[in-house]
Amino acid sequence: MENLEIVFHLSTPVSLGFPWIFFDSLLAHVMLREELGEKYYSLPTKIPIKEIPRPPLKHYYDVPVASVSIIEPNPGLQVFSYFKRGDFPFPKGKISRGSGFFKDFYLKAIYVPAQRVRFYATGELSEIKRLVSKVPALGKDRNIGFGFVKLVEVKEIPFEFGLVKDGLAMRPIPVRYLKRYEDSAYLAYKPPYWARESVDLCAVPFTRVELR
Amino acid sequence: MRGAVHQGGAEVDPEWLRRWREYFLAYYDDARVKDKVAEVAEFARQYVDEGLVSVSGGKDSMTMLHIIVNRVRGDVHVFHWDHGPYLMPREVEREIVENMLRVAPGAHIHIRVYRRGFSERARVDWRPWYVEFFKALEELTKQLRVRYHLLGVRAEESSRRGARGRVVERRSWVEVHPIYYFTWRDVWAYVFKHDVPVPRVYYTYAKLLGWDRVRLVTFFDREFEKYGSPQVDSVLSWRWRNKPI
Repeated sequence: MENLEIVFHLSTPVSLGFPWIFFDSLLAHVMLREELGEKYYSLPTKIPIKEIPRPPLKHYYDVPVASVSIIEPNPGLQVFSYFKRGDFPFPKGKISRGSGFFKDFYLKAIYVPAQRVRFYATGELSEIKRLVSKVPALGKDRNIGFGFVKLVEVKEIPFEFGLVKDGLAMRPIPVRYLKRYEDSAYLAYKPPYWARESVDLCAVPFTRVELR
Repeated sequence: MRGAVHQGGAEVDPEWLRRWREYFLAYYDDARVKDKVAEVAEFARQYVDEGLVSVSGGKDSMTMLHIIVNRVRGDVHVFHWDHGPYLMPREVEREIVENMLRVAPGAHIHIRVYRRGFSERARVDWRPWYVEFFKALEELTKQLRVRYHLLGVRAEESSRRGARGRVVERRSWVEVHPIYYFTWRDVWAYVFKHDVPVPRVYYTYAKLLGWDRVRLVTFFDREFEKYGSPQVDSVLSWRWRNKPI
């Protein structure tokens, strides 16, 4: 396992659904897409996926050694409001556009006009290189043009920065694995990040921590 | 590295807030908001004695409450609905209650709690909310024997509200909208001029969404998914997303 720095150079702003993008979940997403192929796009919505592929990363207890996104430069959040209306052929007669199948949405995308997104991780270099090359875009609302990746750079670095860098937590780390921490919140710290089982009291990314 | 995004949302810059405060204070005089306030007080006076003032804790209802308490009468009946911890974080709810007590110390405040708001399910299924809310409101209306419900609805908010009118006859009560003709600028000017306390979360959201679009609604509520609210909440109010009771 090598200590890595992964830099995504973007050609469009990155839209966010949470303050941070998790590198391990990005890898798990690519692996699952590879595993399921076309079926990935027609997953059942009511039944959660039972097994999430384990990314080729080092783990500290059950925490993947992979940082959250470091967005550069960081000019702050912006909002993009847009309408999402059905572009399918509407049937004849009266239809409800306030609810149901033909419902209209007035949505907001929160984005950062960033040029690069940086991650730190410890894992298998060749496999990570292969997986990140399959990421065409980062973040949310990729279907409307956000977060397009221009170039990905993966390089080895001498230190392990996936968990802690310069005394700052680089990802949510459960407080039970820490000697000291500055700030805490209930956050998901391992994939799947949508699952309640993954939530624990964690040190907040980019706050001071000391590992046990 | 410790920029606004990484900290989990836009932090309120005091300088930014000071500049806007100056703008709204100037607007208060320029747009003669004082005259509009006097008209609102005169209008509300007709209904307050037999009325119940509904306060969500947002800027509009707090402005209405402040005008009524300071210009009409202080011992009004106030109704407040607590959505429960999954829809309204306890920090915000506590702030709302404190603000109401600060603005209307002599008022009779009636707080009703949404029982299902203590379950995570409240975020995805909002239908029981309407049933419970209107049941509680109807019971209180009967108990207090009031006829009018004073709400902080404004015509400018939506075309639907614009078509509603200032006084609306309902089945069990009459809905009255004292600040119906206030614009968003009037409301914010009044808030800054009279130091009306509003939840601090307003400023975080206003910075991103704009002063005209910021509203206090339930957090992470799928009912507002069509407006993109849960996504904004996930970025700006991430701390409250997974927080247990």
